[in-house]
Formats: sequence, structure tokens, C-alpha cells
Amino acid sequence: MISERKPAKICRYGMAVDIDKCTGCGACMIACAVENNVPPGNPDATDLTGITWLRVFKVDNGEEYPRKESVYFPMMCQQCGVETPCYLVCPQQAVDVDPATGIVFQMPERCLGCRYCMAACPYHSRYFNWWDPKWPAGMEKTLNPDVAPRMRGVVEKCNYCHGRWHAARQRAAEAGETEISPGDYVPACVEACPAGAIQFGDLNDPTSAPAIAAKDPESFRLLVKLGTDPKVYYHSKREWARRIGDPSQAPSPKEPSRG
Amino acid sequence: MDRRFIPAGVSRCSTAKFLLWLAPWAALLAFGLYSAGLCLVKGLNQTHMNNRFAFGLWIFLDLTVIALGAGAFFTGFLLYILKRKELRAVINSAVVIGLMCYGGAMAVLGVDVGQPLRAWFTFWYPNVHSMLTEVTFCISCYLTVLLIEYVPIVLKNRKLRQIPHFLVFQHELHKLVYVFAGVGTFLSFFHQGSLGGLYGVLRGRPFAFREELGIWPTTFFLFILSAAAVGPSFILLTTWLVQKISGKRLVRPQVLQSLGRISGLLLAAYVLLKTLDTLVWLNRTTPRSGFLPAQYYAWKPFGVWILAVEMALFLVPMVILLTPKLRARAGWLVSSAAMACCGVAVNRFVLTIQTLALPTLSFDRFLQYLPSWQETGTFLAVLAAAVLVYSISFRYFELFPEERELRREPSGRPETAPAMAGK
Amino acid sequence: MLPWNYGFHWTLGTAIFMGAFYTVLVVVVTTLISATLRSRRALRSGAAEDMLWRSDLFDLPARDRACRHELTGEVGQRECTNGFDCRTCDTHQTFLDRRPPAEPGDKSYEGFGMTFPLDRMYHRGHTWVRRERDGSVTIGLDDFGRRLLGRPDSLQMPRKGQRLRLHGPAWLVRKRNLDLRVVSPVAGVVLDTDGPDGEWYLKVRPEQPDLRHLLEGFEVQPWVAREMERLHAALLAAGAPPDLVDGRTDVSLLATSCPPACWEAACSTMFLRP
Repeated sequence: MISERKPAKICRYGMAVDIDKCTGCGACMIACAVENNVPPGNPDATDLTGITWLRVFKVDNGEEYPRKESVYFPMMCQQCGVETPCYLVCPQQAVDVDPATGIVFQMPERCLGCRYCMAACPYHSRYFNWWDPKWPAGMEKTLNPDVAPRMRGVVEKCNYCHGRWHAARQRAAEAGETEISPGDYVPACVEACPAGAIQFGDLNDPTSAPAIAAKDPESFRLLVKLGTDPKVYYHSKREWARRIGDPSQAPSPKEPSRG
Repeated sequence: MDRRFIPAGVSRCSTAKFLLWLAPWAALLAFGLYSAGLCLVKGLNQTHMNNRFAFGLWIFLDLTVIALGAGAFFTGFLLYILKRKELRAVINSAVVIGLMCYGGAMAVLGVDVGQPLRAWFTFWYPNVHSMLTEVTFCISCYLTVLLIEYVPIVLKNRKLRQIPHFLVFQHELHKLVYVFAGVGTFLSFFHQGSLGGLYGVLRGRPFAFREELGIWPTTFFLFILSAAAVGPSFILLTTWLVQKISGKRLVRPQVLQSLGRISGLLLAAYVLLKTLDTLVWLNRTTPRSGFLPAQYYAWKPFGVWILAVEMALFLVPMVILLTPKLRARAGWLVSSAAMACCGVAVNRFVLTIQTLALPTLSFDRFLQYLPSWQETGTFLAVLAAAVLVYSISFRYFELFPEERELRREPSGRPETAPAMAGK
Repeated sequence: MLPWNYGFHWTLGTAIFMGAFYTVLVVVVTTLISATLRSRRALRSGAAEDMLWRSDLFDLPARDRACRHELTGEVGQRECTNGFDCRTCDTHQTFLDRRPPAEPGDKSYEGFGMTFPLDRMYHRGHTWVRRERDGSVTIGLDDFGRRLLGRPDSLQMPRKGQRLRLHGPAWLVRKRNLDLRVVSPVAGVVLDTDGPDGEWYLKVRPEQPDLRHLLEGFEVQPWVAREMERLHAALLAAGAPPDLVDGRTDVSLLATSCPPACWEAACSTMFLRP
């Protein structure tokens, strides 16, 4: 279902991630979980059944010591702009692509939990609630009142902290503006990163970090040949790291990558 | 004790023996229902599926069982639309098998989704671009059609038939059976195809992604063809199995051979098209997605051997079933039917499990998955329910119209002209 | 799903998809309603009995439903598809055009130790029908049926004035564990009843004089021969030991020497009431 609003200004929000700067500290992952009311993992959860809308991977160049190099690779929903796989396959239209922002957002209230979107997503950025969410006593005080928690049996994923976008529009409306100012809407991971490795902005605005990264020859995107037009641009000065996005050329992993 | 409910002219074992046969299946069903109940009450964490293996044993079994159940619509199509009269001998059995296959698949789907009570959302907010919407609609409609086709079989029971309302309704319904056969064929064409389309449209999974013919990926047509090819084989297999277990002759051997021949012909068409499709997929589609075909088979345990096994399981039965001399021998006929059914299972396995196991991102690893006992239990519930319903139908309803005739031919040859002509 | 749902947009895909779905739904529902309405009509017009008769006949193997013209050798192999009601069968008329109809005569046909007087007509359920001068008919059990059943333990005859339906139950026989309904060869009103002690069972005023569906004359001999075969096959299929059955043509002996369960099953088949 395409939203019925007629947007005044069309934004295409994207991200620019400098993987040379990322230290793998994981502050972004924590900030994301706190902002979006992601429940703490069930005691039986494994690394494949937990929920991490944003997840930092460690990727190696496949060489042995002393030529071994690693990068830390934050992965979130790539907000595919063209032929969005999850949007096309959801049988209930529980996925909506917002024309005003280009954000692909999930409606957990309509989700049936069939997980077809999870099979369709090549970036594995969708997560299923295998358990009922439970917060230990006292922790419910940390819940964000602007974001609805999800129930067991539905799929959820990164939506560029859409609640913050709504809050920014509210502030703009109160200030009498018609559009939000660029710095006013920033997702939690971007705000939390101590190294400033993740940048956020409107790809339609040529001065934003993602728009600049898009033109940078040292930038790359993941799995471009699939034709999904992801909006996350990764940047690295290292040539081997730039090949991470092309699966036919990537270094073959000799040890399993840890998330 | 229940003699009066057993059809005339056939013999069935004693009630006690029948209950003895049903008992272990009922126990298995109870265990299976418990497993399914656990998954419904405690959540899908009872399975070994995870965020990478979003689909597991259940989806694989759903696809396989629906492909095998295609015998119901295809036999109906051949009998009522193409007028292949000899298939009247197996149509009732095919309808029951189809009903259990589709009913079981729907039941398992109800457990597989995270929020089963929201199942009606697909009908209320359908996404016409999604293959899964098409599958849901078609399978729901088709299950209804199968139920309607099952009703006359039930109402023709010797005792139930005595009730005039049942008798007349069943008679009138049967006069219109060709409408249901036509609707069933139409619906089956689309849902068998969309089940293939489910994976063929996944551009995010180059292992499954295929070129499009019109608006549908090639797997759409390949699934229809493989289901139509294997449906008759499965009917053949089950009929032979029922004959073995019950110790009775239920159909003339020519019927089974006819089913085998139809299967063989369609298998030939399928093998040809699948070979073509595989070549295009490996040489054109995959490199265009930025992957290398060798990557698909570089991970243990799924090497190239699995592709070879899949093709062999279709090629060998095709050759056997198209050779009249081999087809006439029950051993060859039945084993090639079984091979074809296994081939379809491997094909569905490859498209579900192997697709999800293969990494898409360059730094991902190959994943492994084994179903939990709750998942296995739920599947076994479907099997047990199918056997129970089929056994009851076999005992009280006329699933094999030729059985009565065959009882009168102890030598297995058709009756010769009367030796005496009055004295 | 429906055009007035929030977020519904008319696109080509939506139109085709919804069109197909609703068409299928309409077709299925219409067919069900049609079947229900036709059933109601059939019930009200009393067609249920005839349907039951044909349905029961269909339970018999194809050979048991052989057309009378197959019995006489006029045609190779032909199954009766009209419930033995030759009056409404087009093919029967075609055959009659080709050869003169069988006529009753004064003689009898003697075969297999039984007597079949040819002054009367025979129904394939082993009843005979004789036209009387006043337009009524007399109905009895033929020699085959009599010998096969033996002396009934009890009988339930219809009342005088009771209406009999063609191929409905004429009278009920109880012997040992068997409850048998003898098929009525005509439709009509019962005028008088007798029993196994007399020569006949019923006197009936038929609803219509057309009795073409009954066998007579030269048709009787091949029919009796086929009935012998049917009896053998039925007894063997019911599990009677072959040495008791094979080669024997004395119906009374077969009836008494075979195990009771086999005899019961064979009777049901022979009297066309499976």
C-alpha cells in the first residue's frame, strides 16, 4: 500500500558508513535497542534468534598473519529503493515504502509472521520475535514512550528511528516551519557513534554526507548487482574492504565471521 | 459390528483388527497435536528455525506434500475434462489423498506463522504483487473445492445413502462434478505455479532467482509441470501401497500403467525444460546478480552432487515409465514412481532449505539447520491424520469402484464366455 | 479485498486478481446452490426412490447389469444405464425396430432343473408378471428365486390398496439372518395378496399397461443361463468353497450347502438389492 499523503518535499534518507573509522565498540547497537524498545534476549536465544536491528560484523581480508586485516561492518536495513524485496513479497501489505522519506517501514500490527520477507531480504536485516518480549522488573522505566513494542510472532527491522522523524516534524510544525531542518532528525545509532563512523542525511540534498559518499569512488554498496538500490553507502580506503559488497570477488572467509 | 456401513460386495477386516490398525496412528496424531500445541502456546522458539532459516522443515514439507497432492486435480482433469475413462478407478482415492495433503499443508501453515489468528489479513489486504497472496487465495479455494468433491464420496456410503436428502444431494452434486474439476484445475495451475514463483521472484536469493516469462519466473511453470508429472506417480504409489497393506486387488494393472505413462510423458517435458532453465540460470541469471555459479556448490555438504541427484531422480523414472516393457512390471513401475516422488522432494528441498543455507553477503557463512522434535512431531501429525482419514474412507466408502469387479475374477483374467449355455 | 477498503487502489493487477477470485467464488457457490435446488426439486417430485434403485444397481459389477440385448446376443457387450427400465430407453426401441418383439407362448423353458413358464413375463429381480384379462397383473416369485430363498421364515406383504412403486419394495422376506426386499416389477395398486403356499404373491392393477421392460419368450433362456453364472460368481466372491459351487447347477442344493453368510450375500446380489 503506497501511503496516501502527497509529500511536499521528497527526501531520500540514506546513510554513509566509514568502516575505516568504526572501532566495533557496539555503542550504536545499544543505542538502537534502547531507542526502539528491543527487548533483552531470552535466555535461550542464540546469535541467530536474537533481535539486533543494527548489527556490527567483523570482516577479515582472508589473509594470515602478518597480512591479516579486519574491518568492523555495521549492518542495518539498507532501505532498498528499487524493487524493494520485502515490500513486494509481503502477502498482507504489512510493509510500506514512505514516498516522503524513502524509508521502508514495517507494520508489526499487520504482520502475520509468515517470514517471507525474511527469506526475501538479501541483507538479513529483518528479525522475527521468536519469544514474547519481556523486560526484567525495573527495566520498563527505560522504555521509549514514542515507540510501540512488538508482540511475539511478528517481524521487525530498522526504520531509521521513524519515531524521531515524527518528533522532528512536530518540532518543525510548532516552530512554524514546513520542513524539518537537516540536523534535527538523526537516528539513535548516528547520535551514539563515538567515532562518527555513521552519518545520516537526505540523498536528494547534495550537501549531505550520504550524497557526498554516493559520489565518492572509494564508496561502495552491498550487492548492487541484485538491483535493489540500497541507500547505505560504505566507505573504505582499503581496496580489499571495498570488495565486500561484491560477493563474486569477496575474500573467502576462512574463519566464521562473528557478529 | 459395523458391517452395515461397509460397501456392498467387498470384504473388510474385522472391527477389532481395524481399531488395532488405527491405534498407533491415533497415538502418533496425539503426539503430533501436542507438539503443534507447544508451538502455538509457547511460540516458534520451540522450533530450530532462526532469523536466517526463516523457513524450515514445515515449508519444505508443505511444498512437497502439495506437489504430491497434485494427483487429485490432475486425475480429475484427465477424467472429467479429457475423458480418460480408466481413471475412474482411482479418482475417489485421489480426492481423499488430495484432501489430506492440502488440509495437512494448511494446518501446518497455521502453526508455522507467528500470528495464526491474523490469517484473514491476507484476504482483507491482499498484495497482488506477492506470490504468497496468490498461494493463500488459491489453496484456500482449492481446499474448499476438494471438500466439496469429498462430500459425495461420504454421502454414497451404504447406510447414509438411505437418507433421501443425502442420496439426492450427492447425485446432483456428482452431475456437476465437471465444474469442480474445471475450477480445481484452474486453481491448481495457479497455486502450484505460485509456489514455484515464491522462490523464483526472490532477487535477493540468486540461488533461487530465475528469469521471467511474462510476469512469472520460470519456476512457476516448472513447478506446475513437476507437480502434474509426479501427481499420477503418487497416486500409483499409494494405490499399490494400499493394495499391499489390505491384501486386496483394487485396480486393474492397466490403470496403474496408464498413470505411469502419463507421469513419464510429463517427466520428459519437465526434464527438458528444467535442463534448459538450469543452463540459463547458471550462465546468465547468476552472473547478472553478481554471483558465481561455483559459489553455490562450494559449500559442504551441498556440492554439485545434489543437482545430479535431483536430475537423476527425474531422468531414471522418465526412462523407465516410457518403456512399455518395464512399465508392465510392477517392481519397475512402483520404484520409478517412488523415485519421481523423491525427485520432487529433493527439488522442493533445494529451493527452500538450500536457498536459505547459502550465504548472500560475502562475509556470511553457510548455515546448518536441523528440525526440532516439535517440528517433526507436527509433521508426523499430518501423516497420522492422513492415514487415519484414508483408512476410515477406505473401509466405509467406495474408494476403488473396480474392487468389486476384481473380486469376481479370482484368476486375474477377465471372465471368459460362459462354459454352460443351458441344458 | 473490497473496493471501499482503506488503501485500495484500482490497478490492472488488482482488477485481474480480484476478478479471478470472485469469479471462482461465484462459480463454486452457484454450483452448490444449483445442486441444492435441484435436490429439493428431485425430492419433491419423488425421484429419490428411483435414484436409490439406480445407485444400488450401480453397486453391482458391470456384468450383472448386462443389457437384455447382450443376453440375447444382439450386441456384444452392453451395460444397462437406465436402471432396467427399457420403456424409457431409446436403444431398446432401436433394437425392437430391427427384430420382432418376443411373444409369450404356451410352452415352458426348462433348464438347470427349473421351469419357467413362457405365458408370463419375467423381471430381472426374479419375479414373474402375468397379464390377466381384466387388465390387472399377477405377480409371483420365479422358480429360481423360490429355490434360492427356500421357504421363508416370515413374510411382510403389502396391504390391499397400497401403492407399489416400480423397482421399489414389493414384499419383504425374512429367512435366517437375511432381510430381503423383493423388487416390484410394476408400479400399481395392490388388489389382493397371497403367499409362498399359493401360486402367486400379489395381484396388482398396474398404473400403465406398458410392460416392455420385462423379459419374455426367447429372452428367458439366455437370461437364466446368465443368472446361473451370476449365482456362481456371487457365491465364490462371498467366500464359498469352490468345490461346493463349481459345476453344480441345482439351485436348491447350492442354497442349502453353502455357508449361510455366503448365501446371504449371494441372495442380496441375485435379487438386485446389494
